[in-house]
Amino acid sequence: MNNTRAKIPLVLLLFLVVELTLLDRLRVFGAGPDAMLLLAVVAGIVGGPRAGALFGFAAGIVLDLFLETPMGLSALVFCLVGYAVGNIQGGVLRAAWWIPILTTFVASVAGELLYALVATVVGQPHLVTIHLLIVATVVGVFNAVAAPVALRLVRWSIETPERAFA
Amino acid sequence: MAVYRRSTRHRFLLVLLVLTSITVITVDVRGGGGGAMESVRRAARDAFAPVQSVADDVINPVSDFFGGLFRYGHIKAENSRLRRQLAEARGRADASANNDRELQKLLALQNLNFAGNIPTVAARVVATSPSNFQLTVEIDKGLPAGIQKGMPVVTGAGLVGRVLSVSQERATVLLLTDPSFNVGVRLSGSGDVGVARGNGTRQPLPVDLIDVGSKVAGGEVVVTSGLQGSVFPPDIPVGKVRSTKVQPGSLQRDLTIDPIVDLTRLDFVKVLLWQPKAVLP
Repeated sequence: MNNTRAKIPLVLLLFLVVELTLLDRLRVFGAGPDAMLLLAVVAGIVGGPRAGALFGFAAGIVLDLFLETPMGLSALVFCLVGYAVGNIQGGVLRAAWWIPILTTFVASVAGELLYALVATVVGQPHLVTIHLLIVATVVGVFNAVAAPVALRLVRWSIETPERAFA
Repeated sequence: MAVYRRSTRHRFLLVLLVLTSITVITVDVRGGGGGAMESVRRAARDAFAPVQSVADDVINPVSDFFGGLFRYGHIKAENSRLRRQLAEARGRADASANNDRELQKLLALQNLNFAGNIPTVAARVVATSPSNFQLTVEIDKGLPAGIQKGMPVVTGAGLVGRVLSVSQERATVLLLTDPSFNVGVRLSGSGDVGVARGNGTRQPLPVDLIDVGSKVAGGEVVVTSGLQGSVFPPDIPVGKVRSTKVQPGSLQRDLTIDPIVDLTRLDFVKVLLWQPKAVLP
C-alpha cells in the first residue's frame, strides 16, 4: 500500500513533465495532445469511478497551475470526465483491446467540449468556435494513440499488492 | 446492497471534488489574479523552471538533430536566402543610421517619446502553452529583470503580444493571435485608426472601425496606434494588410491583416519595459 502511494504521485509528475516539456511541441492544426485529460480517462478505465474522479481532480489542479484560465477549471472538468468514464467502463469486465482506445477517443473529445463549455460559463469567451471541433478531434486522436502506454502506467501505479499476487 | 452503498460513496466523493473545484474557481476569479492563487501559481512555475530547462537541454539537441537530418535541403536553401537578406539588411541599416540620428535629434528637440528609445529586456522563448485554448509562450525572464504584467513584447520585426503573468523565473506572454487579444492600430498610409483582434493560430486578424472611405493598399503595414491610454506605445509594426473589401451597406471596411512576426517560430523576443500612462481598470 505504501508502495502504491509513492507510485501515484510519480505517475502524475511524469505525465505533467511530458505535457509541459514534450507535448507542447506537437501541434496539428494548432492543437496538441492533452496528457492530463488522458490520465483522468485512463484512471477511470483502469480503476473505476473513484480512481477516475481522484486522478482527474489531481491532474487538473496541477495543470491549472500552468495555465492562465481560472484555477480549478481543468480539475472540475477532468474529475467529471474520469468519474463518467469509470462508471461506463465498470459494466465491461474483460473488454476487447480496442474498447479502451475507443473510450479514450470519445472521452477526450467530450472532455475538450465540456472544458470549453464550462470555461464559457465562468467568463472565458472565445472558446466555443468552429476551431473547438478541430481541437477536440485532434486531442481525441492523439490521446487514443497514447492510450495503451498510459493504461499500462496507470495500471502499474494503482495495482494493490493483493491484486498483483492474485 | 454493498454495491449500492459503494456507488453512493463514489458519488459523495465526486460531489466533494466538484464543490472543491468550484470553490477554487470562484476564489481565483473573484480574487482578480492578485490573491493567494496567484502566489501559488508563481511558486509552482518557479519550481518547475529548472525541470523545464533540463528537459529542454536534453530534448532540443535530439529534435534539432532529427530535424536537421530530414530537412537538410530546406535548411541549406534557407541559409543562403538568409545570408542574402542579411547583406541587403546591412546595407539598408547603414543608410538608415544617419536618418535615425537626425530623427533622434528632432524628437529630443520636441520632447517626444519614440518606441526605439524604450529600454528592453531580451528573453528566450522556452515553452509554448500546454493548453489548446490559449495562445501563449513562456519566456525565461521574470520579475528580477524588471518585467511587469501588461508590458509589450516584440521581436526585431514587430509586435508579438503582451505579458500576461510574471513569476521570479518566468513570464507568460499572450500572443496577438489569441482570441482575447485586442490592439489599437493605425494604417501607415492613410493614418486611419482601428482595432485589430486575435482570431486564433495562423488566422489573419480582423481590423474593426476602419472607415469605408479610407484608402488601403494590399500589403500596407499596420502599426500600433499608441493613442492616449493605449496599452502599447505607438509605431510598433503589427501586421500587413492581407485583404480589404467593403460590403454593400456596411458602415466599416472589412480589413484583415497578417502578423508581421512568424508567431509559430518564435525564439528570441524583447520585452519593452514600458507601461501605459493611464491606470488600467
